[in-house]
Amino acid sequence: MKKFITLTFLIFYFPHFLSSYVENENNAPEFKLLDSYGNEISLSSFIGKKVVLEWTNHGCPYVAKHYETGNMQSTQEFAKEEEIIWLSIISSAPGTQGYVSSDEANALTITRKASPSHVLFDPTGKVGRIYDAKTTPHMYIINEEGIMKYQGAIDDAGGRGFMSRDLLKAKNYVKESLQQIGAGEEISSPVTKPYGCSVKYAS
Amino acid sequence: MLGVKFKLAKDWHTYWENPGDAGEGATIDWILPKGLEASSILWPGPERIPVEPLMTFGYNNEVILLAKISSTNDIEFPVNIEAKVGWFTCKDICIPQEGIVDIQINEGLFVSSSYREEINDYLVTVPGDFSQDYRIEKLDGSFFLQTDISDGEHFDDIYFFPKEYGLTSYAEEQIYEKNQNSFILEIKASKADLNLSKFEGVIEASNKEGKSYYQISFPLTVDLPKNEQGILLLIVFAFLGGLILNIMPCVFPILSIKILRFMEHGENSSSQAYKFGLFYTLGVILSFLLIALLLILLKSSGENIGWGFQLQYPLVISILFYLFVALGFMFMSNLVFGSQMGQLSSMAQVKNESLESFLTGILAVVVASPCTAPFMGSAIGFALLQPSGNSFLIFLSLGLGFALPYLVLSVKPSLLSFLPKPGAWMETFKQFMAFPMWASALWLLWVLSGQVDSNTVLLVLVGGLAISLSLWILEKNTSPRKWLRWLVRFIVLILVVGSISIIPTEYSTKDTQEEIVFSEEILNEYREAKELVFLNFTADWCITCKVNERVALSSKKVTELMSKRNIIYLEADWTRKDGAIAEKLEQFGRTGVPLYLLYPSEGEPIILPEILTEDILLRYLNELS
Repeated sequence: MKKFITLTFLIFYFPHFLSSYVENENNAPEFKLLDSYGNEISLSSFIGKKVVLEWTNHGCPYVAKHYETGNMQSTQEFAKEEEIIWLSIISSAPGTQGYVSSDEANALTITRKASPSHVLFDPTGKVGRIYDAKTTPHMYIINEEGIMKYQGAIDDAGGRGFMSRDLLKAKNYVKESLQQIGAGEEISSPVTKPYGCSVKYAS
Repeated sequence: MLGVKFKLAKDWHTYWENPGDAGEGATIDWILPKGLEASSILWPGPERIPVEPLMTFGYNNEVILLAKISSTNDIEFPVNIEAKVGWFTCKDICIPQEGIVDIQINEGLFVSSSYREEINDYLVTVPGDFSQDYRIEKLDGSFFLQTDISDGEHFDDIYFFPKEYGLTSYAEEQIYEKNQNSFILEIKASKADLNLSKFEGVIEASNKEGKSYYQISFPLTVDLPKNEQGILLLIVFAFLGGLILNIMPCVFPILSIKILRFMEHGENSSSQAYKFGLFYTLGVILSFLLIALLLILLKSSGENIGWGFQLQYPLVISILFYLFVALGFMFMSNLVFGSQMGQLSSMAQVKNESLESFLTGILAVVVASPCTAPFMGSAIGFALLQPSGNSFLIFLSLGLGFALPYLVLSVKPSLLSFLPKPGAWMETFKQFMAFPMWASALWLLWVLSGQVDSNTVLLVLVGGLAISLSLWILEKNTSPRKWLRWLVRFIVLILVVGSISIIPTEYSTKDTQEEIVFSEEILNEYREAKELVFLNFTADWCITCKVNERVALSSKKVTELMSKRNIIYLEADWTRKDGAIAEKLEQFGRTGVPLYLLYPSEGEPIILPEILTEDILLRYLNELS
């Protein structure tokens, strides 16, 4: 009987049941967020293209290092050349580190020579929690059919001693996975440990 | 022993070896003169530092990270040791920091200092080996850490800090349960499962004297890697399985009668026949995909299910039983559902037949479901272990195989030419087909009898009778008076609703063992008869009990041995407090469950350990005389 209750529960609370974590090979949950130009952007509008989600917070030293070394930008450019959509998502709550206005977000994109398709604001943290984004950076890859294919770190430079590591020598999981999806191969590391600062969620 | 002391401002913290959901632990690069070597960092026991909704592990306010410095040969004093240290200091935000510290060590006798005490305070919290035997079980998305504890060593709380990412969920609550001589800790598994080969980390055990830390490492069985070629093979087998299902006693009658019906109609509308075939196929495939979706949803919610789960519910079995009884009755009589609707007009007839074909497809899958369980259980169970996409493929293939024979016949009705011309034999054949239906109904009833007591089975039988009666009434309901026909239909509705409402929804006997509810009298009876008795004191809220029941008591080897040796299984359920059980527990110096007693034919009972494994239990059961 217990299983029956669970079952009914699942059918009626399907969206709720999805919140918290999306396993690879499952549908990436739909979301609609405002971008830094005030447009409403929905994930489903990118069906037919690969999508990279990047959780970010410019004040986080991990994110800062990825941008100072050009590592994040080169990954974004790689995606752009392949016509892959890149969504930088900010889940910092108002008043916390990383929370920015539209103008600040656009200025950051220009000064850092970044090339995301959109910078999205998730101040309530709703989308971040659905995807179980834990750190900045925390990366996700969704394929043309809207299926989650990769989640975790941007590269293998995480772990103790990150600050003194050369990011350009690290293995870039996002690039590798994108290439493997493109070539129709199995992704060699579809789940990796995300590393960085905690996402500054509204409590 | 050298230590690097981190003194942080109030409310700031730095991290442990595994930082948890975010952050990272410190690094120390020792710059040592020749002949000296430093160990890796000895990490003192960490604290939990929640950052809603995340969890991190580290040290608040202050910590000393330690390393053992040893010399391989003679060294020259004074020795200068430098350490390049990198660390993160975090509160709401994180700041990476680095610095160099140094110390000069002179030759001379050891002089005690305040530093020594400080170092010692941290050194004692560096996790040592855990001296007790312990085991890890993974059940339904949780790890269970179980261990015996010796007398006097009682912990008020235990917390597990995992060493690596991808093992346990950091943020979720861990549940600690203390028993008389053992404890169990439930730790939710990580949603991101990296299939680690070891359960490794540190446990923090707290009691009145403070906290102590121990290292834990236990091998895990790793799931087999997914096999891509296996998938193709599975898809082929699913297809063949679907084909074979057509001749199973549950399904064959439905389909053969459907085919006969369309032979009759086929004469005048053969151009439409393929259409019905397509609608039927659609019905079958949609139903199978729906089942696949349901199973995948259940699976991802952490339910431990396989195919055949539908036969674990008295409710489902009873409804299927009614369905089979009713179908058998329909075959015997002239009632064919949908036939009344079909008389409206020729246009509507075509439409309704399409709908009817679609519904037949769904019905075929429903009646097939009990037959697939024993037949394809393991194959479908394996399919569910695959990624969702593959599971769907397997179910799709099963549906295609299942629908194919009828589809082929509908496209090429000439294949049926070997059958005799439509005629009276068809009626006879149809009536005969009621028997496989009723045979399936009998089998379902037998399955049900294993789950509920005989009174409940009788109730379901009465329900079956009411269903049959209502069908008979419907058939005879040809009064010219409209209001009378509606009245009769109303009565039938009451009968059907009544028979459904008496369906049991709960087990009225337990599922695994033939278990008898404990009372002192029953126990004494068995003892006087010199029977061997296993007495299980359990409760629904007792995690240790449930884990023991899952891994040891309900194992096939154990139940087989119990029935082979005629050991009576008695269960004393303490879910609700019960005076008689409490008294019995007290006799054995217990205040709570679990307690396992094994009564030999004569003499005092043997008290079994609180943590049962299949091996331990089998040994005790074998030695019992």
